[in-house]
Amino acid sequence: MGRPRSFDEGTAVEAATALFCERGYDGTGVDDLVRALGMHRGSLYQAFGSKRGLWLRALRAHVGGLAGPDDDLTLLLRAAVERAPTDVETAVLVSAGLARIRSTLPADDDLARVLGERLITRAAPRSTIEEDR
Amino acid sequence: MTRIDITGDQLVVTMQGMDRFWSLRRRIAVPLSHVRGATADPGVVREPAGVRAPGTHVPRFITAGTLYKDGERVFWNVRGSREPVVIELAEERCARLVRGVDDARATAERVERALIRD
Repeated sequence: MGRPRSFDEGTAVEAATALFCERGYDGTGVDDLVRALGMHRGSLYQAFGSKRGLWLRALRAHVGGLAGPDDDLTLLLRAAVERAPTDVETAVLVSAGLARIRSTLPADDDLARVLGERLITRAAPRSTIEEDR
Repeated sequence: MTRIDITGDQLVVTMQGMDRFWSLRRRIAVPLSHVRGATADPGVVREPAGVRAPGTHVPRFITAGTLYKDGERVFWNVRGSREPVVIELAEERCARLVRGVDDARATAERVERALIRD
């Protein structure tokens, strides 16, 4: 067996979430995770099984912590666009996340509006966003 | 050549040709319940692999056989021209397999799809 775990899993999952938000699933390599989490590669594999194991942990924590439409939805949107179409477990977590947000809204069609607005804001050229402020 | 297949409830690694020669084995079968995950990891070959037990190790060119690092046994077979995939195991003598395959990303996705996570 390997050495005992000498890291905080919650902190590691948070660091991974930040990286997945910034670069997406495919854009985040194990090298990036090793660097950002400050863990040995072997410990990372031992703790999470795989990059996808860590991704699912991060997404589950994100979905579990969703309180409403004003939260940062970057990981949820990334998961919906990039992974959900080919990854059943991601798709299940995404629908759970969407259901959580929907439950905080007065009407069903508000969810589409909230998600649409988030995408539009995200896609806007940076200078435009700065001008708006 | 190294192939990684899901056969029933087992993960089967088959070595052919020179891969079989370098790694001193022809076939490894692990119950899927002992497989914790699979990852395409090009960077794994840039780190020191550890101390060699039986096998072949020429850094950056070939790593094959059983290596020990940080108290873990890792069973390697990666040559320069292949893409490394890392398969994490549980309840096996070996902590993980690092194998060079033709398409590491597709292999990792295929193995991950076959796993049932809690």
